Amino acid sequence: MENNNLTIKLKVWRQENAGAKGKFVDYTIDDVNPDMSFLEMLDELNEELIKKDDLPIEFDNDCREGICGMCGMVINGTAHGPKSGTTTCEVRMRQFKDGETILIEPWRARPFPVIKDLVVDRSAFDRIMVAGGYIDVKTGSAPDAHTVLVPKENADLAMDMAACIGCGACVAACPNASASLFVGAKVSQFALLPQGQPEATKRVEAMVAQMDEEGFGACSNHGECEAVCPKNISILAIARMRREYWKASVH
Amino acid sequence: MRFSTFSYSSLGKKIYMAILGLLLVSFVTVHLIGNLALLSPDKDTFNKYSHFLTHDIGGIILVAEILIFAFFFFHFLYALVVQWNNWKARPIGYKKVKNAGGASKKTIMSTTMIYTGLIIIIWLVIHLLNFKYGEEVMYTTKDGMLIRDLYATVTGYFSNIWNVIFYDVVMILLALHLSHGFWSAFQSLGLNGPRFMKFIRGFGYLYAIVLGAGFVFIPVWVYLTIGGAR
Amino acid sequence: MKLDSKIPGGPLAEKWDKHKFDMKVVNPKNKRKFTVLVVGTGLAGASAAASMAELGYHVKSFCIQDSPRRAHSIGAQGGINAAKNYPNDGDSIWRLFYDTIKGGDYRSREANVYRLAQVSNNIIDQTVAQGVPYQREYGGLLANRSFGGALVSRTFYARGQTGQQLLLGAYSALMAQVHSGMVEILPRREMVELVMINDQARGIIVRNLINGEFERYVGDAVVLATGGYAQVYFLSTNAMNSNASAIWRAHKKGALFGNPCYVQIHPTCIPRSGDYQSKLTLMSESLRNDGRVWVPKKKGDKRPPNEIPEDERDYYLERKYPTFGNMVPRDVASRNAKMVCDEGRGVGKTGLAVYLDFRDAIKEFGREVIEEKYGNLFEMYKMITDEDGYQVPMRIYPAPHYTMGGLWVDYNLMSTIPGLHVIGEANFSDHGANRLGASALMQGLADGYFVLPYTIGNYLGGTKLEKVSTDHEAFKEAEAEAKAKYDKLLSIKGSKTVKEFHQEIGSIMWNYVGMSRNAEGLKKALEEIPRLREEFWQNVKIAGSEDSLNKNLEFAGRVADYLEFGELMAQDALHREESCGGHFREEHQTEEGEALRDDENFTYVAAWEFKGLGKKWELHKEPLEFENVTLTQRSYK
Repeated sequence: MENNNLTIKLKVWRQENAGAKGKFVDYTIDDVNPDMSFLEMLDELNEELIKKDDLPIEFDNDCREGICGMCGMVINGTAHGPKSGTTTCEVRMRQFKDGETILIEPWRARPFPVIKDLVVDRSAFDRIMVAGGYIDVKTGSAPDAHTVLVPKENADLAMDMAACIGCGACVAACPNASASLFVGAKVSQFALLPQGQPEATKRVEAMVAQMDEEGFGACSNHGECEAVCPKNISILAIARMRREYWKASVH
Repeated sequence: MRFSTFSYSSLGKKIYMAILGLLLVSFVTVHLIGNLALLSPDKDTFNKYSHFLTHDIGGIILVAEILIFAFFFFHFLYALVVQWNNWKARPIGYKKVKNAGGASKKTIMSTTMIYTGLIIIIWLVIHLLNFKYGEEVMYTTKDGMLIRDLYATVTGYFSNIWNVIFYDVVMILLALHLSHGFWSAFQSLGLNGPRFMKFIRGFGYLYAIVLGAGFVFIPVWVYLTIGGAR
Repeated sequence: MKLDSKIPGGPLAEKWDKHKFDMKVVNPKNKRKFTVLVVGTGLAGASAAASMAELGYHVKSFCIQDSPRRAHSIGAQGGINAAKNYPNDGDSIWRLFYDTIKGGDYRSREANVYRLAQVSNNIIDQTVAQGVPYQREYGGLLANRSFGGALVSRTFYARGQTGQQLLLGAYSALMAQVHSGMVEILPRREMVELVMINDQARGIIVRNLINGEFERYVGDAVVLATGGYAQVYFLSTNAMNSNASAIWRAHKKGALFGNPCYVQIHPTCIPRSGDYQSKLTLMSESLRNDGRVWVPKKKGDKRPPNEIPEDERDYYLERKYPTFGNMVPRDVASRNAKMVCDEGRGVGKTGLAVYLDFRDAIKEFGREVIEEKYGNLFEMYKMITDEDGYQVPMRIYPAPHYTMGGLWVDYNLMSTIPGLHVIGEANFSDHGANRLGASALMQGLADGYFVLPYTIGNYLGGTKLEKVSTDHEAFKEAEAEAKAKYDKLLSIKGSKTVKEFHQEIGSIMWNYVGMSRNAEGLKKALEEIPRLREEFWQNVKIAGSEDSLNKNLEFAGRVADYLEFGELMAQDALHREESCGGHFREEHQTEEGEALRDDENFTYVAAWEFKGLGKKWELHKEPLEFENVTLTQRSYK
């Protein structure tokens, strides 16, 4: 049988815990099947490391089909790897060349401190959601689903915004480590729906305040976030958030 | 929302910067149009225009100068504050950063706004010292007015090739600054949509090129026709 | 032990309303004196935690991931069923109830399923109000589609991401309650022990996955919403962190396990390509609406698919089931794929795949139409396999997907341990032996939003609960027990990795307790699993230490549980001498090779009691009584 397997060199950020000083460590992994996913390649490396009584590389992952938002690494300088519209778990090894050196770094941002190796703490996102990322509707109190009509165009746009998986790639890729796309997407989803109107001003004010409180940078409209977003969420979400903020400012 | 909440938020600061930026854009546009008077072979055209601004409109000029100064000052002040926070937001940088391409609007211009801005501010001081607060030579126009001969100061300055180069390099930086800043201001204000985005980015680039070319051209023209080259 | 399902009396349609009236109601002032511990933040867990907090209970919500939003409910693509009858095609609560009972092959409780159909409509109302962006028609009304072979259009959907959108809705409700101070979120925590005091579930021990510390939490009731156990197969469509450990450890503390052998194998997954494979990816079964399933007629035919002429292809589903054709239910489609592969007619490098061909559909409707309908799935397929489904037939193979079995619960969703409630996929309740498409989301949310918040009040209001703290002896013991287990795991320092053991148990389960089972194979599994378990406890090799983030250690704990649980699954499958839904016993089939139920002897829920490792589980039967539907043989001919 023909063998197209690759030899891959890795340069991986290793850091024992949040307080420790990290460093890059080199690994070489042979016989990488091009059909493998990037994370499966790391699985294989980890198996080797475990067998050698070395510590495996810790990285977050869960669904491995691009929807849970748990995985995330900066691969060769790009969040979630070279291809647009994908998560790290969707990266396949055939996208790399034989003998290539791949640099792997964790998400870097002050609000995303490293927990270990490539695992970072993204609970800042949850706290932003706690501040206002919801429509307050107590269970059982909702009217019939057809009471309020939603124009299809708005419903579709809201879906585009709601597609955010909260992976944090936007923050990782932003030169300013800004969370504007994440917040903008959520604010926009609710702003586009009639159900979101009653709390609209309160929501955008609270979410933006929490975003600032967490220490994210400001948006300078570089648009890197959109380019790395696995769900291709447009920076027009950020523009809409700013409109909502204007509206809230005169409220 | 309280005014202070708005003003201290990251969104509010960027909104202020955008408004100030657009005001500065209108100022430099008017400035360039005024500068076109330098192209007139009759030096009275430029000097009378200059005299009109400084003497004939009374207190308005003082108000305008204070405002323009404030626009520059606060635009830059906010830039410093925002940039400082942005740097703080990523204490440990990446070993390698690659532009993601595709939908990204990141360019050398967008990432160097703080530096181009800083250079422009420094240059601005020099610019004012050279011209506005430069040597005051008086002369009499053809119709008998005794006014300042700013034309002579300007052409004198641009008779030195190094001054021309220095000025033009800064003007190119200004154009680069605006090529990101112009559309970005609209985005920061939330004034954007799927179709408008294409228009405003295209228009922004066009504006930056036209404005930059105008500012670059005048000293070159002066140098070639009146100044050192002749 | 006598199983009491606590199904209320009266006519089917009135049972739930009557029960709601009969249940004890906790005085609003007293509610805040109660604390409920909810483990898991999927559709069931998040919706339950939020709804209970809205009622005034203090809730602590635990999840294994870094955020509640990541639970694997997020992976559900297709949609959610409800009996709204918006399309006016004759749907009703009764029809949804009937379809679900029939789809479950008559192995579920009538009363539970009817309640599920009743509250299905409230779920749509609730989630729309939360801002879930369902697909809409141009007039602004909600769109519906037909799904999973249903004869009516009752499925609501949000692109191919319905599970994600519903989960984000429940998550946002949860976040609103965190905001109001009623819920505390404890992420990156794995439940390792259930704490029982006075024979009541009163707390849990969790391992903090960041620093490895064991933490104690006390409550007045415990809710498990920890999902299914398909990861016992190693390769499944479940997420990497999905596991059976919480329900398994509760089972070992006395909760009976219901119908563990009922597993759903989804027919349209992308086949595995090598040993390195870590998970299988599901493609929506809507693909079967236009794709034609076939294999070569000749064994071992290695020609590229496009070179195999029409008369040498076997469109086996169309051949065997002329009426339903490629649209037969999941279990039938899966089993037939396995059959043709076992005959040696499987395709691809491994021979473990069948073709799903769009050639004829493209010819008939044009590529554009197909692209519009399934474009994202073709893209996904290409990304994973590097093959273009428009040019060459896709290769598909079944994969474990959902587990109908789970901890046994009564009508109030309480297990046999007082105070321990189990909801969503983690319980055994509503799907019988087979789950219909777009019903998992419905059940998870029904349990969490509309059933448990009522029934838990009945327990809390009607039970004497002693005041206890985490200093109680039972907490110390449970923590010591948990710690001892992890200490032991790390001390073995053998030579085989956790993953290797997981792969081994997975292949035993897949081969003998998978899509089709027989007594011989099951007996073999019952021999091999204890042997493998023994080897595991002597020879497993785990990296790192206990006191820091250590995924290898986390997985070791879970694999250790599969090595016990797998045995119960095999025992249940061996005891059930019939074929029903996801459980197919080769000895029990019709002449045409279809599942053959034995209603006379097996119309019951098998609830197993743990008697200690190495001993046989004790079977308790809950008879299933059908007063409103007549049992028939499923036929898709």
